[in-house]
Amino acid sequence: MAITKINVGPIHPSTHGVLRLVVHLDGDTIVKVEPHIGFLHRGVEKLVETRMYMQSHPYMEKIDYMAPMSVDELYVATVEKAMGIEVNERAQYVRVVLLELQRIASHLFWVGSICNDLGQLFTTFMWGFRDRDMALRLLEVATGQRMFYVNMRLGGLARDIPEGFAEEVIEFLDYLEKRLKDYEKFIEKNPIFIQRMKGIGRLSRSEALDLGVTGQVLRTSGVSYDVRKNNPYYVYEKLNFNPVVLTGGDNLARYKARVLEIKESIRLIRNALGNMPEGSALGMPVKLVSPPLKNRMVTVSRENPRGEEMMYMVGDPQKPYRLSIRAPTFINLSALDYMARENRFADLFSIMGTLDLVMADVDR
Amino acid sequence: MKIDREAVEETIETMKKQGFEYLVKITAVDYVKNIEVIYFLRNIDKNQDFTLEVDLDPSDLWIPTIIKIHRSADWYEREMSEMFGIEIKGRKAKRLLLEKWDGRPSPLRKNFVWGQPYES
Amino acid sequence: MSIDSIIENAINSHSLAVSLAGLIAYGIVIAILIFAFSYFFGWFERKLIAKSQYRHGPTYVGKYGILQNFADLVKLLAKEIIIPENANKVLISLAPVVLVALNVFIIFLIPFSPALQASNLGLGLLLIFVVLGFTPIILFIIGFASGNKFSDISAQRSVLMLISYELPMIIVVATLALFTGSYSINGIIAAQARLPFAILMPIGFFVFFVAMLAELERPPFDTREADSELIAGWLTDLSAPYYALALLLDYTRMLLGGLLISILFLGGWDGPFLPAPLWLLIKAFLVAVFITIIRITTMRMRVDKILKFGWIWLMPLALLNMVITFFLFL
Repeated sequence: MAITKINVGPIHPSTHGVLRLVVHLDGDTIVKVEPHIGFLHRGVEKLVETRMYMQSHPYMEKIDYMAPMSVDELYVATVEKAMGIEVNERAQYVRVVLLELQRIASHLFWVGSICNDLGQLFTTFMWGFRDRDMALRLLEVATGQRMFYVNMRLGGLARDIPEGFAEEVIEFLDYLEKRLKDYEKFIEKNPIFIQRMKGIGRLSRSEALDLGVTGQVLRTSGVSYDVRKNNPYYVYEKLNFNPVVLTGGDNLARYKARVLEIKESIRLIRNALGNMPEGSALGMPVKLVSPPLKNRMVTVSRENPRGEEMMYMVGDPQKPYRLSIRAPTFINLSALDYMARENRFADLFSIMGTLDLVMADVDR
Repeated sequence: MKIDREAVEETIETMKKQGFEYLVKITAVDYVKNIEVIYFLRNIDKNQDFTLEVDLDPSDLWIPTIIKIHRSADWYEREMSEMFGIEIKGRKAKRLLLEKWDGRPSPLRKNFVWGQPYES
Repeated sequence: MSIDSIIENAINSHSLAVSLAGLIAYGIVIAILIFAFSYFFGWFERKLIAKSQYRHGPTYVGKYGILQNFADLVKLLAKEIIIPENANKVLISLAPVVLVALNVFIIFLIPFSPALQASNLGLGLLLIFVVLGFTPIILFIIGFASGNKFSDISAQRSVLMLISYELPMIIVVATLALFTGSYSINGIIAAQARLPFAILMPIGFFVFFVAMLAELERPPFDTREADSELIAGWLTDLSAPYYALALLLDYTRMLLGGLLISILFLGGWDGPFLPAPLWLLIKAFLVAVFITIIRITTMRMRVDKILKFGWIWLMPLALLNMVITFFLFL
């Protein structure tokens, strides 16, 4: 049968941003997928070279608009490492709480949107959106902003969490734990969901390593690599953290991994709130003149909700000389071609959904 | 560790046999006098990271591909070649990944000054 | 006031005009009914879906947003008609109209009470399912006439769907007809006076219901207009007024599906206290609401799985239903 070429995107209901795919179909079977990216390429890496260290800080969050806090923190941590600044202990705990709340928000949104990709009528999408908004409200309470926080400062935070924040968070976590059972009933008990997800887009351990995928896609293929465990930062070591590692490597495993990660994050937040020391969590005020540089070349890795995000920075006294960002979704998207081959056209979108793409992160 | 570009393929292959089977990132830095290409490799079982650096002369910019060793190198190499104008030898030339570029200096090189309008 | 009696009257009294006037009046009543039902159901569906998703649904236009769909309709009708270059202009503008006309025609054939019916054709059931069988073919035509690849895929899926659910549905209907010994709808409803067929033959009811879901393009069988894959399938290139027609059609077909299920399996207009047409409409409405609840909860099945499901489950079940019916009751 002749090969049909279909152009999906840049504007399409389920490409999660501006992604264009040229899909080669043989009947209903995918022969090849060519992702065309770059529609959101803003040249962040170049822009950073022209600005002072803390001037480019607010721009960094826009790289990953589904989880801005994680990039916010990553950039500040990179600068901190270059300047040899220690983060005070309370700030470490607060950062962990905020990062995990952000992870929960990001994953809740994902759980909703995957059902939408599978053709549900926005029901789970709205549920996820609503619960995510509660997490965002908590972040707003803590930082003053709903989405783009710019809350990290060198050595600490711009503002400490307010009084009564811990109780509110715990209330939300209790609610969320109940809610997750609803999700389980609603989604996992649905035979059509299982039928559409099981065994689709399978990646074995060696394939996953070869393709360089990261985050849940890597961990569900049986590779135990979570930056929070393998290369711990802040207080993750003390918080009794177990990475979610599953075997199977298919869409269903990736779904389960994300739901389990929400549960793991709930546990982490509870532990962190329980052990949080008193004191000040404030960091240095923003100044154009930065502290002197200690290390010229630094590499910092963080476990973003989507996978391992890494920054490699070569510093100059006032500006970064070069900042290279390893985007987790960039490499996950490059594996889409391999994963989607020999699957049905309808499954392309569920596979793409489980990669959890954020196009701004792919293109930078 | 600094190596020559002729030794890149061989070194990375040896590293892969020793357990460094995960390629984290390939990137480059323009130091004006030379351009440094950096390979971040990782041994997941032993939890070790390793960095390989290759210095290139700006007048003779090419580096061999490692796509046969690590398939994940594909997009990294394309991005790097686009951003720094480094030719990747040994692989098919493909369409540009991120930008539609029209012969200006490559964007992440230091001779591309940000904010100045380009005159052809 | 049936067609037969009109013809009879016309032959006897040479006053065709009187009976024709009656028929036209009946047609107008049915048209108003269809529009009112579609409108009300459209609003109710939006509210129901909104409530299940913690939203409010339409609230702004009219009391409880009841005029929202009307506002949408006016907006759509006021828009420019754009027909893509690749599309077949005649087919793409004609087919949606034909589609609506066919579905309205089927509802016109359905009796609403022993007194309120356009025709008491002996072969009414057969005629209804013949006309119903045209719908996927017309969707297929629209898909190919649109001239874009998403609609093409939608058209291909339309055919696949056709061969997977149409046959079991017809077998169940044939079982019903053979069991009651009549192809007329009045006969089938009369046979359910004691016990509705939904209780008498549950397997047949299940098969027919699932097949009807597929016929109506409701989830989990909405692969033809799968919005997360095919943008909107055969609707992709329909311009605003045609799209409005297609939306109207969507609700008309819900009414049609509800009516057919209630007539064939739920006892038709039989029921205490209320007048017969009202009973039928209430049953049809409840069936439509049930279909909407399914729509809210399920994901979409893949088209090859539907084909498999149709031939591995629906087809044998339909045959089993036939065998059981004949051995137990005849």
